[in-house]
Parts: sequence; C-alpha cells; structure tokens
Amino acid sequence: MIIHATRRAHLAGTALAVILAGVPALAQDSFLDVGEQEPITILINSSPWYGGFESVVALYEEQTGNLVELDATPYNGVLEKARNAVRTAESPYDILNIDSGWTIEFYESDVLRPLGEIVEGYTLPEEVYTCGDSYFWNEEKQYRTSEGGTLMAVPPNCNVHVLVYRTDLVETPPATYDDLLAQCQAIQSPPEVYGFATRGERGNGIHYDFMPFLLSYGGRIVADPASGDYTVTINSPEALTALERFIEVEHGCAPANVGAMGQGDVIQLMAAGNAAMVETVVAAWANYVDPTKSAVVDTVAAAPMPEGPGGRGVAIGNWHFAVPRNIPDERAQAAMAFMQWFLTEGAQTAYAEAGGIPVRRDVIETLGQQPGYEWMAAYQTNLEAGVHPLGFSEGAAVEQVMGLRLNQALVGELSPAAALNSAAREIQEIFAQSGRQTGSLDPLPE
Amino acid sequence: MSFPSEISSGAAPAAVPPRRHRREPSGDRWFRWATLLPAVIVLVVLTVWPVANLLRMAVSTIEFTRDGASFAFTPAENLRRLAGDDLFFINLRTTVIFVVVSVILEMVLGFLLALMVSGVPRGKGLVRTLMILPILVPPVAIGSMWKLVYNHDFGILNQALGVVGLGPVGWLSNPDLALWSVVLVDVWHWTPFVFLILFAGIEGLPREVIEAARVDGATTWQIVRRIVLPLMAPAIAVAFIFRAILAFKVFDQIFLLTSGGPGTATEVVSLRLYRVFFDQNELGYGALLSVVIILAVVAFLLTAGALARRVGR
Amino acid sequence: MIPLKGRELWLGYAFLAAGVLAIVVPFLFILATSLKYEIAIMQGRVIFEPTLYNYNDVLFGRRSNFVRNITNSLIVAGASTLIVLTVGTLAAYSLSRLRWARWISGAFLGWTMLFNTIPVLTVVGPWYLMFQQAGLYDTLLGLVLTHVAINLPMTVWLMMTFFGDIPAELEEAARVDGAGQAQAFRRVILPLVVPGLIAAGVLAFVFSWNEFTVALNLTSRGTATVPVGIANFAEQYEVQNGNMAAASVLSTIPALILMIFGQRFVVQGLTMGAVK
Repeated sequence: MIIHATRRAHLAGTALAVILAGVPALAQDSFLDVGEQEPITILINSSPWYGGFESVVALYEEQTGNLVELDATPYNGVLEKARNAVRTAESPYDILNIDSGWTIEFYESDVLRPLGEIVEGYTLPEEVYTCGDSYFWNEEKQYRTSEGGTLMAVPPNCNVHVLVYRTDLVETPPATYDDLLAQCQAIQSPPEVYGFATRGERGNGIHYDFMPFLLSYGGRIVADPASGDYTVTINSPEALTALERFIEVEHGCAPANVGAMGQGDVIQLMAAGNAAMVETVVAAWANYVDPTKSAVVDTVAAAPMPEGPGGRGVAIGNWHFAVPRNIPDERAQAAMAFMQWFLTEGAQTAYAEAGGIPVRRDVIETLGQQPGYEWMAAYQTNLEAGVHPLGFSEGAAVEQVMGLRLNQALVGELSPAAALNSAAREIQEIFAQSGRQTGSLDPLPE
Repeated sequence: MSFPSEISSGAAPAAVPPRRHRREPSGDRWFRWATLLPAVIVLVVLTVWPVANLLRMAVSTIEFTRDGASFAFTPAENLRRLAGDDLFFINLRTTVIFVVVSVILEMVLGFLLALMVSGVPRGKGLVRTLMILPILVPPVAIGSMWKLVYNHDFGILNQALGVVGLGPVGWLSNPDLALWSVVLVDVWHWTPFVFLILFAGIEGLPREVIEAARVDGATTWQIVRRIVLPLMAPAIAVAFIFRAILAFKVFDQIFLLTSGGPGTATEVVSLRLYRVFFDQNELGYGALLSVVIILAVVAFLLTAGALARRVGR
Repeated sequence: MIPLKGRELWLGYAFLAAGVLAIVVPFLFILATSLKYEIAIMQGRVIFEPTLYNYNDVLFGRRSNFVRNITNSLIVAGASTLIVLTVGTLAAYSLSRLRWARWISGAFLGWTMLFNTIPVLTVVGPWYLMFQQAGLYDTLLGLVLTHVAINLPMTVWLMMTFFGDIPAELEEAARVDGAGQAQAFRRVILPLVVPGLIAAGVLAFVFSWNEFTVALNLTSRGTATVPVGIANFAEQYEVQNGNMAAASVLSTIPALILMIFGQRFVVQGLTMGAVK
C-alpha cells in the first residue's frame, strides 16, 4: 500500500515536473550539451512570445549552468540599442534580436559575424524553417537568398499571417478572396459585428497586411530580384485588381476608421468579440486565447490565408538572432552555443509550450496534433507558402513608399491606379539611385 | 501682451550693464564667477560636441562600416534633396498650424486658470496639485490612453455621442478631424505647464499696486489689462517661448495616436525627422532637416515677438 | 493676485470647476482603465467589476521590473532637479543681477535657447559614445547629467524672469547694511523667488520623470526609468492597456508625494533663512 502510494506520488511528481519544464523526461537527448560558456547578454523586444523565450532561457541556465541576461526593450528601442551597440568599441550585447526589415543595414555596414565564422561550417538544422530564405545574405546580389548567400542569423520566430475567425460565425473559413468578400459582407452588421478587418494604418501596417492580397493575385513589387531584374511591377493589372479587392473588403467589412487601424485595433476588434474574421500575424495569437484579454477564447480558430488566382500569398516578417562583430571570440562562442541549443527539438518544444512560436517542422507537427495547439496547422501551411517580399537592400525605402500610397488609396486621397502609378515611379527612382537594373510598366489608366 | 524687446531680439533680458567708476570688491567678483561657472561647465561638457556633430552631419552623407562612421562632405547634394522635398514643407505647414493653435489655446486657458486660482480665497493648494496630474503622466501612456478615449467603436467619446443619438465620429481616422483631435490632447497635457509658470508669476505681483487700483474703483478687467499683463510680460514670454519650442518638437503622443496619418494629415516635422533619421538611417539628411527645424523655430519666435510688440503698442 | 468678489467670484469658481473637471476626468478614465481586465477595456464597458490584476502584474509580474524603474526614476529626477535648480538659479541670478558684459550673457542665453530647440533624437548618439568612453553608460549618474543639460535652459530662463520682478532697491538696501553680494542673495533675494523656484523645480522634475529617448539609449534593464518600463507595455502584436494604465497611475503617486513634500521643504528652508 505504502509503496504503491509512494510510487503514485512519484509518478505525479514526474508528471508535474514534465509540465513545469515543458519537456518530456525521455527527451533529454533532444537537447544539446554546450559545456561551460561565458555569460551572455541578449537584446530582445517585449512581445507576446517574450514570456516563452524567458522560460526557455531559464531552462537553459538550469540545464547548462551558463548565465544569460535579457534586456527586454520596447520595439523601436531595440533598433536604437542595436545600432549603438555595433557602433561602439565593444558591444554590450552578445546576441541582437533584430526585425528582418532592419537587418540589411547591419549587413551593409558589415558589423555582424556570419555564423559560419564562429562555428566553422555551421548550417541551420534541416528541420528549422528558413522563413523565406531570410537568414541568408548574398552580398554580391544585395539580396536575401541561400544561393551563394551567407548564413547571418537564426530564427527566434517566423512571423506569418494567419486568418483568425470565429467558429460560431464562420462555418468554413474562406478559401478564396471572393469567398472572403461574400462571407464577410453576409456577416457584416455594425457596430456589433464586423465581417473582416486588417490593418489600414499608414506605413508598415498597411503594406504588410496588403501583401497576402497582392501575392495571391499574382502581383509583385519587383519582377525578379533573385536574378537581378528590378523592373518595378507594382502598377500591373494584377496588382490593381488586388488593391481594388483589398479596398472593397476593407470598406465593405471593416469599421469606418480602417484607414487608421493598427495592430492593436485589429486585435481588439477580434478579442472583444466584434469581428468575425481578421488577418493578423501568428505572434498575436496569444491575445485571443487569454481569458483576461479575450471574449472569444472558446470560439476562435486559425485558418490558412485564402488563395487567389496566383495561389496562396503570405508575407513573412520575422526576427533574427544575430551576433555582433565587436565582441571577443569567447563571447561569440557562448552566443552561438545558446542559439544552437535553442534550435534543438527539446528547447523548441519547451519554447512553444511556454507561449513561443516554434520554428522547427517536427515540433510544429507533433504539437499541432495536441489539443490547444490546433492553430499550428494553419501556421505551418502559411509558413510553407511564405515569401519575404522585401529581400533587397532597398526594402525599407520601398516599404515607406508603399505604406503611404496604399493608405492614400484606402482613405480616398488617391484612386487605386494613381496610387500604384506613383508608388511605381518612386520605387523605380529608388532602384535607379542604388544602381539596380530597373525599368517600369506602362502606367495604369487613371 | 507685449514682449520685452530684449527677449524677442534674442539678447539678455534685464542684464544690468556694467557700471563704470566703481571697483568691484574681490568677494563680489568671486561670487559672480562662482554663480555662473557651474552652468557654463555643464553646457561646455555636455552640449558643445553634440551640436558641433549635428552641424557636421548636416553637410555630410554618413555610412557606417566595421571601422566606424565615415563622413563624406556633400552639402550640395543634401541641400538639393531638401529643395525637392515637397513633403517636408507640407509637414512644416502642419506643424506651424499645430503649434499656433495649441499654444494659443494653452496660453489663454493657462492664464485664465492662473488668474482664477489666485483670485479665489480657498482651494489654491488643491487645484495646483490636481493641475500637475496631466504633466506627470508619461507621454507614451498619454498617447495610449487617449487612443482608448478616441476609439471608434468603444471609446467613451463615441459612446457618449451614441447615447444622444449621434453617429460614431472618426476622431483619428477622419483626415479633416485628426489634427484637431491631436491638438485637444496637447491642450489637455500642456495647459498645466503654462498654468504653473503664470501662477508663480501672479503670486509674485506686488499686492499694494493692485489693491490701490481696486480702491480707485478699477474693474477686474482694467486691472488685468493695465497692471497684470504688463507686469507679467516676461513670464508670459518665457512660458510662450518654451511651450512653442516643445510644441514644435511634439512627437510621442502623435506617434502613438496616428503615426502621422491618415495620409499625411498629422505628420509633423518631428515625425518626419524620425522617419528619415531613424527609420531610414539617413543621418546626414536627417541632421539637415533638424537644422531647418531649428531655424523654423527661431523664425517663428521672432515673428511672434514682433507681432506681440505691435499688438502691445 | 486680484481678489475676486461677488459675481466675478462665482464666475471664477465656475471656470475653475470646469478646468479641474477637464483635467481630472481623463485622469479618472486612466484610473478606471487600470482597474479593469483587458477585455473590459477593449469592450469599453462603463460598468465593471474592479480588479487589482493589472497592479499585481505590473508590480510583481515576471516581465516587469517596475519597482526598480520607480526607484531609478526617483533617484534620477530627484538628483537632476536638485542639481539643475542649484546650477540654474545661480546662473540666472548671476546673469540678471551681476555685472556681466552684454556679450557674455547674450552668448550664454542664446546658446541655451539654441540647444533647447535641438531635437533630442539627434544628440543622443553623441551622448551614447561620450558616456561609453567615460564609463558612464548604463549608470544613473550618466542619465542625471543629461537631464541636467536638457533642463538647464528652461530653468535659467524661468528663474531670470522671477529675479527680474524683484526691485533692485531691496538688494541695495541689504548691501548698505553691509551684506556682501552672496549674503544679499541668500538672505534677501532667494526667499522672494520661492514661488518661482517651486514652478521651475516642478517642471524640471516632471521633464526628467517623463524623459524617454535618452533614458532608453543610456540604460538597460537594471537602470531603466519609468517611461522606458511603461513603453514595454505598448508593444507590437499585443494590447496591454490595463498594465499601462496601472503603471501610469503608480508612476504618478511617488512623484506627486515627492513634489508636495519637496515644495514644503523648499518653502520652509528658504523662509527660515530670511527670518534669521
């Protein structure tokens, strides 16, 4: 009896430990033994997945005895601090977590260490997604690609869009954008419930959230950057159809203030129970399933993005763990040790269970089968269709142009055709200035 | 309202010219230096290099490499870019409208509040403490909180309007309205600044003069017009100058409320500067824009000073 | 001050009531927000069940370092206000009352004004490099120094207007009685500008308390101040209005208390000096 009881207690204890650590006890070998390493400091942004990252760091410290300090910083502050760090004699940080849009500036000034220089011949594990090849940099082509590119960073997450919907209002999530429009208009009954919304705010918001429309209608900003053809194609008839559909959906189904709606507004609309469908990044998922923040915990679900004539379009906007050049070798080694450990199956599982967004195929597939992680299937479908639309060094400047012109089209300051024509003119100018082989289409009739 | 001419012409207000013929006792000379020197040291150590660096950047194109920043001397190119930058001049116009409207509202309201608080027999301390509340809230929080107030579907403003049967107003999404919504937040936030300075000024006014005027049968309006305003001119001028400079630099709350949108309706120069200097990392052109902003502030203050003097006369 | 009487007094009270209401209602809104669950905030509920969830999260949550932020802010704002009031008041007195050549006072005031117009964004880079070399990066002392520099112009200009209001005869009378310049300043002049000192001190404190750009760049987790901590709640991909409101309310309380006591302290200290 006594023995029995003890064993049960022991089993329960193990089960508890498993839940707490988030690691199957048998999977110890799915981690990596990194040995003793220098303490490191990581510059990272505050985000919904920060909690998950913090737990996985605690697990690393516990397993290896190596110290990791985290400097959690507001979003824009990360860029300022990262720039300061690489512009000084010795960087206070060993790992910089930077947004993909910012990375090229760091590549161009050559202040990050290629990972293969720290650990001879290092490559990403096969199971790890490369998030649209965005962790490589081909200096000659000034373009993100694994072909002839150098591995510069590892993924802390691959942020892609998912279609978030309410199972009580939407029976089957729309498979196409025609379907999306029809469904959202049918549901639309403001101000109680809006059919669909995504960001219309000027800048990165509208640019990034318009991308799924553009890509799935077969539109592209640039003809073929991978092979060096920077002919601007943003004023193609496909792009116009995509923009007109985008505006139609936003005007027909979103709140009247859609031209000023940012990430917080869209999340709020869904979480408060006032939207049937929204398009947000997977990193926002945690907001919908937290009962203190969401009224739709039991009815929310995620679906792959709809398809258009050009297939499924998904844009990736991800974060990068990179190592600055201006730190001593031992610290770079320690940084690398942590990153390699972080990408193991065990660590990624622990990360996901604590609220992180995993980047390993096997972890996503295994966890996706479990209750509570159903959204991972949609995440994976979208991730595999994902492309990095701004893989070139002029990305930030192009995004600014797009962010303004698209917003003007949405709020009615410009017609869709005029907005795309002016965007095309300005983007061509940007490429011409940086010496790309560029050109343009005939302007759309305005 | 009249500006003392010394202030508006940029020279020292009320500096006593050195008197000839009287030798300064050595203790006094020591005191004179000891009082000014700490401030001079602070300024020399902390401000000279950043300002010099700004001027150098403004005429350069800056690239960062592994070995640090490299400056290329390109004044002509930076200036040519400025001349063709139509958007910046639109931003400048938006900023001037924002500054004029919000600062005038804040000055008038702040002055009236200061006058009333000093005029009532009870409750001064309480009011002064309450008045500090808005300026104690960090701007980043002010932006987020007013975003909730202005929220299209759930904000208290639109809820209140809904109760009386008026449709939801796009406080931040209507291009014609967004700038005024932002001005309102600024007035809420900064009227206490003006109030604090002017209240201190009013409290320091000589009581006898005002009481004598009362005895002579002057109305409150006459006292304000003939005695209070002229005596308070320096304090009013300083409050105006610093308020105007701060308004020209307004950033956090607009960034959080509208990010400059919808379209370009609320894009003030500091937001544009942020985009160029920070987002686009073009330090050279960004520095040039900030020099233009500084010149615009100076021009604005000189114009305001000249206007005030004409009105004062 | 103009004592108001009769109908004017009632008008005055009405105007004040309106002013106080306009100031306080949005603040009450922030207070109410801090007591709601995020979902109640997002749905704009007017009637709600209050909770201390947000306060608990801000003060003791794993992501938050708020107690430390408040301590840092108190130190930085307190120290920089004391220094800038001392340095600035002395300089203002010197420039408005002592015999400086015109070009010196002109250059000094012109430079402070010029520096005050510069967008902080453009000077923070040089400061970062300076402080890194001096070993002051990531220290509270470094931040105190920058806040002194930022607030010095306003303090000097403000204090000059208050010194300007004091009749020169008062000072001369003290000097006839045999007081040196320093004594005349300490015993006669300083007590007369107490309202001005309070206004300038409150403003310097508030600006330091809320300063964000420099604090962000020169600090890290251990040295971060309140605005930097609060900005962490205004994040991408998530809504944390409740936490932000709770943090705002929490950040005003110590500042308010410190300022009220600080005012009393200044008033007492200086008027005692005058009586002696």
